[in-house]
Amino acid sequence: MEMVIVAPPAPGRLEDLRRRFFATPLQALLSLASLAIMVFLAWNLLNWAIFSAVFTTSGGPEACQAAAGACWSVIAARWRIILFGLYPFEEQWRSALACVTVVVMTVLSCIPAFWTGRRIALVWGAGAVLYYVLMKGGVLGLTYVGEEAWGGLALTLFIFVTSCLIGFPLAICLALMRRSELPWISRTTGIIIDGVRSLPLISILFTFAIVLPFALPQWLAGDKLYRVILGSALFFSAYQAEIVRGGMQGVPNGQAEAAMALGMSYWQRISRILLPQAMRNALPATINQFVISFKETSLVVIVGFFEILASGNAAYGTGEWRFAYIEVYAFIAFIYFVFVFSLSRYGAFLERRMSVGER
Amino acid sequence: MISGNATESGGPAVRIENLDKYYGSFHALRKVNLSVERGERIVICGPSGSGKSTMIRCINRLEQHNGGRITVLGTELNDDVGNIDEIRREVGMVFQHFNLFPHMTVLENCMIAPMIVRKRPRTEAEATARRYLEKVRIPEQAMKFPGQLSGGQQQRVAIARALCMQPQIMLFDEPTSALDPEMIAEVLDVMVTLASEGMTMICVTHEMGFARRVADRVIFMDGGEIVEEAPPEEFFTSCRNERTRQFLSQVLGH
Repeated sequence: MEMVIVAPPAPGRLEDLRRRFFATPLQALLSLASLAIMVFLAWNLLNWAIFSAVFTTSGGPEACQAAAGACWSVIAARWRIILFGLYPFEEQWRSALACVTVVVMTVLSCIPAFWTGRRIALVWGAGAVLYYVLMKGGVLGLTYVGEEAWGGLALTLFIFVTSCLIGFPLAICLALMRRSELPWISRTTGIIIDGVRSLPLISILFTFAIVLPFALPQWLAGDKLYRVILGSALFFSAYQAEIVRGGMQGVPNGQAEAAMALGMSYWQRISRILLPQAMRNALPATINQFVISFKETSLVVIVGFFEILASGNAAYGTGEWRFAYIEVYAFIAFIYFVFVFSLSRYGAFLERRMSVGER
Repeated sequence: MISGNATESGGPAVRIENLDKYYGSFHALRKVNLSVERGERIVICGPSGSGKSTMIRCINRLEQHNGGRITVLGTELNDDVGNIDEIRREVGMVFQHFNLFPHMTVLENCMIAPMIVRKRPRTEAEATARRYLEKVRIPEQAMKFPGQLSGGQQQRVAIARALCMQPQIMLFDEPTSALDPEMIAEVLDVMVTLASEGMTMICVTHEMGFARRVADRVIFMDGGEIVEEAPPEEFFTSCRNERTRQFLSQVLGH
């Protein structure tokens, strides 16, 4: 006789809910109580953020302060300071365009169709020139705005993107050098990486911003902003180098041997065989490092730059809006969230895409 | 391309003289001498740790030898990087664990070296790759990734990948040892076809049936030395050395 095995039908959604949360009277009670608390909290939050909130600037700060809910008018009144910092008011459209440039560059380089050396170089080369011309001016009829006046979101994005752009290739070089067969190279690199990692980012930023000008000739020191970017790129690369090295260690030795046996040169083996596989292994940790670095840009405030968080402080810090700091921080948190969350989702997309050939 | 004097010289494909190799204080190869003619098929066998893999890995300098001379296609292997690259282009190798590139499709695996090492145009590299995939009887897997193939299929891709460089010599390092029994035949069939077309082959393998069918000479190694060297019929019937006889009884006994 033939045996027919039928899987039991999957429970319906209601049945599933009942089994998970209402199996016994006590469980039902706990579930209902938790639900009530959650509804209460959500209602309060929504009430504060939306229903009782003030959105228009018409009543001014006084009307806003009197309201029971959130005072979003502070954002409407001060968003330009938050996004653009001390950048001259009439020129802020340039700063906005510069932000858009960075976002477009980043999005373009995240599209697989642009993943050839020439296209990526073109995107970033053109983007960097455009950003610099827009922000700094002094050419094409744009008024000159020095780096000390850059601020807000534009500055945060600039510091983050340039640090990663410099730091990432540097990290790959450091990782390769640490794996070198020549002991004096691998040991020296190890000391550099571990040395940088042993220092707090703040001390590195201080050193690059304030100490370095005394040690370097004037023409080599450059603007403080670029020294700070170099410092944070160095910090980023020390961590990222170890992530990349970890990824490389996950690539079996046989891969390099097969590439050697086919006659590939050192750089061909690195760029075609080792790095693509190593980066795939290192991807989750790499995205993590990007996220951390994005949020660490807020530390540049201590060497005198008004990135987005410091600009936010300035936005509510002057007299009339002093009471509305929660709203300003919520707004800044939202901006951070948009960028970091997109980064994480992009990481997840890459992982799915790269796992195509996995066994 | 191999330099003119090498192809014209007409000397042996591989000449190994007094080869010494140490791993630390372990003497892996002891004054090994071997000469392989063009078009010759050599099978090397021996117990594990006998130095057979080490020896063929010295031929394309995956291992560096510590003494003696290795001349491949008229070019001596030394510290000259140009020499090494030139030799590796002409010497294909198939590994025990396939070592296919997992992030590339089967087709890309076969195309990459001809394109970036031999600087062949993409269309030509693809045509060559498809021709050799046809030859190893898996043209339909071209767009798959190695991880999606069986062991036997992967090893045949590895053979095709090596052949796409159009090498003059093929080295096989235990190509069937990592395979399930039912897949060994499909790989050996491809190797037999290759042998019948006159390829110079040096194979480390314990497949004695294969040795009997295609080898011009069978070499038995033990303790880092070549112990016995004979044509297959002589090797299997009347070997002189006690160690060889012991090994053969173990390999053929079951």
